Order: sequence, then C-alpha cells, then structure tokens
Amino acid sequence: MIGLTLVIVLPALAALVGLAAIDGIEIALVSVGGAAITFVATLIVAVPRFGTAGPVGGSWGHAWGTLNAPDVSFALRADSLSAALLLLAASVALLVQIYSVAYLADDPRYRAYASIVSLFSASMAAVVVADDMFVLLIGWEMMGVCSYLLIAHYWERSDARDGAAKAFLMTRTADVGLLIAIIVLGQAVGSYRISDVLDAVAAGDLSGSTITVTALLILLAAIGKSAQFPLHTWLPDAMPGPAPISALIHSATMVAAGVYLVARMEPLFLASETATIVLGLTAVITMLIAAAFALAQDDLKRVLAWSTVSQLAYMFAALSVGSVVAAIGHLLAHGAFKALLFLAAGSVAHAVGSTAFADMGGLRRPMTWTFATATIGFAALSGLVPLSGFFTKDAVVGAAYDAASGGGEGPAPSWLAWLIVVATLFTAVLTVAYATRAWRLVFSGERRGSETAHEAPALMRWPMVVLAVPTALMGLAVVRPGWLAGSEAEPVHSWVAVTSTAILAGVVAMTWLLGRAGDPATRLGPIRPVLAREFGVDAAYNRFIVAPTLAASGLVLATDRDVVDAYARGASSGAIDASRLLRLAQSRNVQTYVTVAVLGIALAAVVAGVTA
Amino acid sequence: MPLLWPLLLSAALFGVGVYGVLARRNAVLALMGVELMLNAANLNLVAFDVWFRDVLVSGQVFTLFIIALAAAEIGLGLAIVLRLFRAYGHVDVDRVGGDPS
Repeated sequence: MIGLTLVIVLPALAALVGLAAIDGIEIALVSVGGAAITFVATLIVAVPRFGTAGPVGGSWGHAWGTLNAPDVSFALRADSLSAALLLLAASVALLVQIYSVAYLADDPRYRAYASIVSLFSASMAAVVVADDMFVLLIGWEMMGVCSYLLIAHYWERSDARDGAAKAFLMTRTADVGLLIAIIVLGQAVGSYRISDVLDAVAAGDLSGSTITVTALLILLAAIGKSAQFPLHTWLPDAMPGPAPISALIHSATMVAAGVYLVARMEPLFLASETATIVLGLTAVITMLIAAAFALAQDDLKRVLAWSTVSQLAYMFAALSVGSVVAAIGHLLAHGAFKALLFLAAGSVAHAVGSTAFADMGGLRRPMTWTFATATIGFAALSGLVPLSGFFTKDAVVGAAYDAASGGGEGPAPSWLAWLIVVATLFTAVLTVAYATRAWRLVFSGERRGSETAHEAPALMRWPMVVLAVPTALMGLAVVRPGWLAGSEAEPVHSWVAVTSTAILAGVVAMTWLLGRAGDPATRLGPIRPVLAREFGVDAAYNRFIVAPTLAASGLVLATDRDVVDAYARGASSGAIDASRLLRLAQSRNVQTYVTVAVLGIALAAVVAGVTA
Repeated sequence: MPLLWPLLLSAALFGVGVYGVLARRNAVLALMGVELMLNAANLNLVAFDVWFRDVLVSGQVFTLFIIALAAAEIGLGLAIVLRLFRAYGHVDVDRVGGDPS
C-alpha cells in the first residue's frame, strides 16, 4: 500500500521540488532524479504483481458516505494489469525526462515543462492504481489538465493554443460520461470501489440496463481520452507540443488511460452486447480512417499521430472481442515503439527545425543513430517478424479470429468479429504503406530544406537506443504465458505470420516502387485531398458545434451587454441627468437663496393663514 | 398709544430690511438690512411688553440681549466683509464664491 502511494506521491513531489529549483541543471537533476526514483519504486511495486500473485491494495483515510452516497476513500489497488501500465508509464516518463534535458536545453519554460511532466506521470499512476473510482477520476482529469498545459507549451503559436484548447474541450466533454457512470455505479452497487463494482458484475447483481448505460458512458470517456472516432480530431491537432510530450501522451499516458479504463472495466463491457458492438464498431471505423488519413499527411508528427489513433483502435478492437491480454500487449508494444518514433521525430525536428516532410529527406547519413532506431520503430509499427509489433498485432487479429470462428468468450456477435478481422488486416496493409512512405520521405532520397542536419546529442540519442530494445524484443516477453493475470500461452497464429509477412513485403515493395519519383502519396490522386482534409469531420464540428456555440455565446454576450447592463448604465446616467437639473438651483448667489427662503416662508404663512 | 402703530412701524422696518438684504449687492448694505430686521423684531418685543404690562419685563430684557447679540453679530459680519474685500477687492455679494482672482 505504501509502495502504491509512493508511485503517485514521488513524481508529484518531484514536480513541486522542481518548481523551487534554481537553474536548468538543478531542474534537470530534480526531474530526472525524481523520475528515476519513481521508476525504481515502480519496479519494486510492479514486478511482484506479474505471474500468479494476487492484487494488493488498501486505503488511506475514510470519508463517511451520506444516506444516498457510499463512502469515498483514497483506495488503491494493483494487479498485473496495473503493474504493466505502471512500468510502461514510469519507464517512458524517465526516458522522456532524460531526452527533454537536451531537447529543451535552451527553452525558457523548461522548469514548468519538467514539473508538469512529473505531475503527468503522477496522474497516470493515480489512474492506474486507483481502486476508488473518484481517485481514478481525479487522476484522469489531472491528466487532461497536464496535457493541456504541455500541448500549449509554445503558447506564442496560435496552433499550439488552439490545439491545447481543442484537446482539453474534447476530452473534457467526454469525461462527463465517466463522472455520470461513477455516480450511477456507486448508486447501483453501493460502493465506489472498482473491485466491488466488478464483483457485483460477476455476481450478476446489476440490471442489464445499468450495465449497458454505464459501459457506454465509460466508453464515451475512453473514446475522448484515446481519440477514437468520432472524437478523434484532437490528437493530430495536439502536435504543436514538444516532441517528447507527444511521445509521453501517445505511448504511456493520456491515450493509454482510455484503453486501460476499458480493460479495467472489461467484465462490465462483456456483460453488455450493445456496449461490445459499439466498442467494436468504433474501433473498426477509427482504425481504418485514421490509417487512411496517415497516408496523406505532409507532416511527420501528424502521420505518427494518426498512426497512434489507428493503433489504439486495434486495442479497442481486441477489448471488444474480450481479449484484455491482446489489447494490453499491443498497448505495451505500441508504447515502446511509438515513444521511440516520437523521440526520433523530435530528434529529426531538432536537426532540421521542422516536422514537415518538405524539410527532410536524405537524413540517413547525417543521423545514423536516429535512422537506425527509427527504422526499428517503423518496422515494429508495420509488424515485421520478429519485432514486438508483430506479436501483439498477431494476438489482436488472432483474438478476433478466435471470436469469429469459435464464438469466442465475449458476447461479440460473429459478424462483428469477422468485421474486426478484415479491418485489422486491411489496416495492417495501410499501416505498412504509411510507415514505408514516412520512413522513405524522412531518411532516403535527396536532402530537401536548407538546414544542415546533425545527429542528436547523447542525452537524446540514448533514450531512443534504450527504447529500441523493448521495441525489438518485447514481443517475446509478451507471448510468455501468465505475464498478465489470466493470460494463457498465446499461440502465435502461423497463418497470420505468413500472411502479414507477405503483405508487408508486398506493400513495402509497392510503396517503394510507387514512390520512385518522389512522394508515394501523390499516386493517391483525387483521393488524397479528401484524406488530407480528414473527411471534413472537423469542418462538420465547426459548422454544427463550434459555430452554434459561438453564436449562442454571442447572443448571451449581447443580452448581457445590451439588456442587463443597460439598466445599470441607465440608472447611473439617469442619476447624473437628474443631478444636473438639481445643480441649477445651486447658483452660488446667496441672495437668490434668501429670496427663495423668504418667498417660501411667505407662502407657508399664507397657507397657514388660509387653512387656519 | 394703540398697539397698531409700533407694529406697523416694525413691519415697515422689517420690509425695508428684507428688501435691503435681497436687493443690495454691497455686503455692508446687506448687513445693514439684517440690522434693520433685528431691530424691527426688537420694536415688536418692546411694544408687546408694554401692551402686556409684564411685571418681569421679559420683552425688554430680550431686547437688551438682542442688542448685545446684534453688536457681536455685526462685528463678526464686518470682519467677514473685510476678509471678502481683502480677497476679492470688492464686496459685491453676487460676485463672490469663485476662486479669488
């Protein structure tokens, strides 16, 4: 219990102490040191949780519930699922902190940045080890705030401000679902503990409608946090933030929290066919459109962002067919290779001063390390045997195939499972295509742009090298049986391996040939602008949500200014006009005053005489 | 002598005094109007005192008080008029009140 508390408190403490540090070196020492200590604490807490060990947990403090609300307490709990995410978050946070020392060396706001990154990992830890749903909600919202602050790190740029506001508004809107779900579950179960809720679901104490409604509400929150269709547009717009932040948001925190939440609540989802179908369809739509969008982008980080959206959809697809193991396995592998790719993108941006493909090309020679590690990352993203991405994608496709052919464990109907099989395979094709294209546009061909490229400094190079190890090898660890509670020996589906290797080779060759003359995406022809505009989802949001909201707020403003304020202003101007009239009597002439007084007395006397 | 005569005289004096206060621009003359009104009141007091045959002659005592008060008042008033003259260079009551120029 103390260990669980420490993994939350330590990074939060590092965030506070970092604010008090004097110069850049001290800030770096505090934030990297804090992340390192947190990582050690996480190892101590997390490693014993794998295998057959049961969950640990406990609670600090206790707030008495009232008549209509159950108790709320600082309750924490960790099982192998939490442990896996804790390890991912702590290790990526440590590497990001080390990387940022060099990446943001000359940045005037490095202090605030480092502190918020520490706070970010504290929030993620809180989400992952929370047992009380309100602790989870607090961590969840803290992550939203931290991501807002970090995306807006370069707040002089309007795209950074807009992206941050968009990310915050979209995720925040979706979070309302989580709050309502917590309240409904608390009322229905009589406890805000996740473990109690899951027990109640297992015991069949909850009505079908309660389960469906809360599962859908939780799904809404997860869709917002993990940028799934139809709330997928914030993630690519969050790209103006510094590259290490993208690495953190896209791999270990923020978007991973959405997947974690659904995985944690998996029994709730599996108890409702409606929720499962919605989850599966969302995943199918998202993975296809996001991969297609990634194909048409002109910016390296935007390609990676769409790739994240698409890969997260893989995890949701696995969850919808009831395979937490496949989803979390892919989450971990994706965390490693996507963090690596974003750090590599940061290294490239550091070298050429831009993230647009137009400024890259031919970086293979000047940036050997970045080239080598990014190549491993892209290969893992494409699912090359035997890198991590292959095993985990194989597990996802395999889980969907099992659900489709054998009926599967969950309530997912077989048509949905077949749809997922087809969609995941087709998305794999698109993934290989955009990965090959991006890799080629960055590293091969002629050098475009004017800046002289240079290899990243050592502090940026080593985190990438460290991440390349799990990117390459993690698959072997993940297929080991029992690494996650309830995971059996995961058979590698040989037909998937053969098919995906064939697909990979074919698509790489095709993309390469198509791109001989330059950007392969030009071969998309008239489809490309449609994809680059991302199907106009944002335009639709602008038209049907943003514009009416602005109009309504304009109306409120006008009412306030022209109606409500008019009374206040009228009162003051009326008083001024009246006093202007009264002032005429104050002529400063004493004799006028006396005349008025005498006439008044005379009048009073006459009146008195008449009435007497 | 009937009561009416001194009362008429007193009313006339009072009217002249009011006219003086209201109509004269010179502060000294306005003060003289005030004196006239005071003395019209004195005349009333004396006349009624005689008419009531008051054993305590309170009307006459009041009159003496008022004469003393009027002396003090005119001293104060003339001092103010003197300050006015020093400040403005004139004693026109309808031209005072702004900044001394």
